[in-house]
Amino acid sequence: MIFAIYHVPFNKTIFMENIENQIFSSYQKNPDLYDEIHDKKGKVKEVYQKLFNLYGEHSIKDYVTLNNKAKSSFFNQGITFQVYGENNIQEKIFPFDLFPRIIDPVDWDIIERGSIQRSKALNLFLWDIYHDKKILKDKVVPVELITSSANYLDQMNGLNPPGGIYNHISGTDVIKHKDGKYYVLEDNIRCPSGVSYVICNRTALKKALFGVFNHYQTHTVTNYAENLLELLESVKPKGVDVPNVVVITPGMYNSAFYEHSYLAKTMGVELVEGRDLFVENDFVYMKTIKGPEKVDVIYRRIDDQFIDPLEFNPDSVLGVPGLFAAYKKGNVTLANAPGTGVADDKAVYTYMPEIIKYYLNEEPILNNVHTYHCSRPDELKYVLEHIHELVIKPVDEAGGYGISIGNKLSKEEIEKVKAEVKASPRKYVAQPIMSLSVHPTYIDDTESFEQRHVDLRTFTVLGKDKEFVLKGGLTRVALQRGNLIVNSSQGGGSKDTWVLKK
Amino acid sequence: MPREFEIKYRTEITYEDWVHNAYWQFLIIPIENDSQHDVEVEFNNSLFAITEYSINGYGFKTLRVHPKKKFKEVTFEATIKFIKEDIDPLKFKTNFNIALEHEELHKLDFKINHERFLKATPFTNITATQDQLYSFDVSISIFKNLENLNHWIYNYVQFSRNDIDKGTLLNEVILNKKGDCKDFAHLFCALARINGIPTRYVSGYLDRTNGFKGDSQLHAWVECYIPQIGWKGFDPTNNVLADINHIKICHGKDYNDCSPLKGIVNTQGKNKTTYSVTLHSCNS
Repeated sequence: MIFAIYHVPFNKTIFMENIENQIFSSYQKNPDLYDEIHDKKGKVKEVYQKLFNLYGEHSIKDYVTLNNKAKSSFFNQGITFQVYGENNIQEKIFPFDLFPRIIDPVDWDIIERGSIQRSKALNLFLWDIYHDKKILKDKVVPVELITSSANYLDQMNGLNPPGGIYNHISGTDVIKHKDGKYYVLEDNIRCPSGVSYVICNRTALKKALFGVFNHYQTHTVTNYAENLLELLESVKPKGVDVPNVVVITPGMYNSAFYEHSYLAKTMGVELVEGRDLFVENDFVYMKTIKGPEKVDVIYRRIDDQFIDPLEFNPDSVLGVPGLFAAYKKGNVTLANAPGTGVADDKAVYTYMPEIIKYYLNEEPILNNVHTYHCSRPDELKYVLEHIHELVIKPVDEAGGYGISIGNKLSKEEIEKVKAEVKASPRKYVAQPIMSLSVHPTYIDDTESFEQRHVDLRTFTVLGKDKEFVLKGGLTRVALQRGNLIVNSSQGGGSKDTWVLKK
Repeated sequence: MPREFEIKYRTEITYEDWVHNAYWQFLIIPIENDSQHDVEVEFNNSLFAITEYSINGYGFKTLRVHPKKKFKEVTFEATIKFIKEDIDPLKFKTNFNIALEHEELHKLDFKINHERFLKATPFTNITATQDQLYSFDVSISIFKNLENLNHWIYNYVQFSRNDIDKGTLLNEVILNKKGDCKDFAHLFCALARINGIPTRYVSGYLDRTNGFKGDSQLHAWVECYIPQIGWKGFDPTNNVLADINHIKICHGKDYNDCSPLKGIVNTQGKNKTTYSVTLHSCNS
């Protein structure tokens, strides 16, 4: 039964492999997809060979038992997230797959340098559009892109964030296309989440299959918190000696609450809500049982509009009244800085190659996906005529909401999308459908490994004259067959991601 | 001749239920500039809570109060003294090329530098047909155009005092041809911005002893940026240029940036707020 599913030419090595690797025996390779563990000839890549053999020693049954164990450990640790639906809110665990993804040092070098390059360019871009606006005056980026963005904060004009850093933490979403090259899909520089899963995935894998780590020299991911803390401390306000850092969360009902608490715990700093802080004479204090304690750096996981009800959304109960005044006076650092959202607008993304060249005078290390702006009449025309082969994205939604993938739409759906795009072209951009690479992923329903699309979110931290990229990142898996959307809110899973030392 | 002003600002708020937690932010202190200086502020509240002197997101001076006990009613009283210079609003050089002046408005750098005061906001948004209400004449100077616009709005809208604190959308103002000083200012902003003139909403006090129209509390007018001249104040409610009677507190895109009192109050039930502003000038 196992061998009958696909026709293997009589080739001894592959045949032997199948016998040795019972758990991969029914793995079907679609030749149109870029399979990360097999080369073009269908052979397992050298870097995966050892892993392939090690996993092959187990039966599917063993694997399932181990995988379930790992999953329950997630649940017991409370590593859950919420999915916002139309009617109900559900608490879920992030589906986890024990078969890790390996990134070799050559590929990683490209990803790491590329992520730093993008984060630095975005930081310079943010400084510029909140100060001299040279890039707009030089017509590299159209002024409308900024002025019509809801995330551009007038209050940030002329404000110098401590250390000159806006996007302290950036999450860059990278994919490997079928041409074998890396492309960036998105830069997330508001409050990118997911880093706690990177560390938890590693912990879970180590618990379940410790032995496999003996055969690979993998970079650690557990040093994220210490690096984050060090870099946050490096952007302390002027005049502060040893800064007091806190993490502010919207509260336990937030979908990423686990991550907020995890980061505070591992950094060894306090996790606070808005009501735990207060502002007096433009300094921020935390209420403690020993009395008020001054706070200098706030890693905020609250959106701009909610951080200070006196300055932004007056209905916000999550923020701290007076916080923005304290920030404007330079008495506290907010990470990320307010107003960074203007640069992770999907329309700004399309200008990233130009932005990198403009500020750094370098060629982009990571590719950008070609993007059509629906705000431009000729490109709008192309988009409307080619919806079936494009991905249509709203420019200002995060988490995979509102994305339409052209070749998955029915005729009626295409008409509906067309009408929406026509109605507000500025709201949409379109990109060719990228073919994300696939990785063998265990699927419960079929009790076997199947190809599933994956992407990678890298985490870059910028500090004063220092930067850090987490050597790993979050590999997200689109669990539904053929699905390209990997966001956790859209039912994606994740894998441990190994960056090899050599 | 400079004038010495004394303003008494008083607000009384009563709540139906106990208030356990509250923050207030007042934006009522006159800005210091060429024509206003030596501002002195005395601020008290009936709860004896500490007053913090701070700034808002645009750098204007604010007063913040956060009482640490529960209460049902509160009174705030401010006494503000300052000196206002009598600067002739018509004193500026006028000998420049009108065509070049209009041309400047279309330059990208100019648009980018003044982007904040060129865009429409919910309060200064008018529809495509409404933007035909008033168009500029490129054969006369921008200043003259703005004076004409000031005059036009003064005649178009009938002044009526409004009890609503929040301001009205322009659609309604244009439909009813009635409004308070906020509406006059918003309409001016909308029409001037559409014609490419950076225009900011100004909130302040008005000395009404000369028969000027305005709300009994705070007044609103506008400032326009005219190439080669700079910011100039126009008061469409009274069809005049801003002068010694106009005491500026702050400016912004619209009323939302300039709201004199913001409160984050944790209570249930209704509340009632009364304001009073009295203004004395003693000529020195």
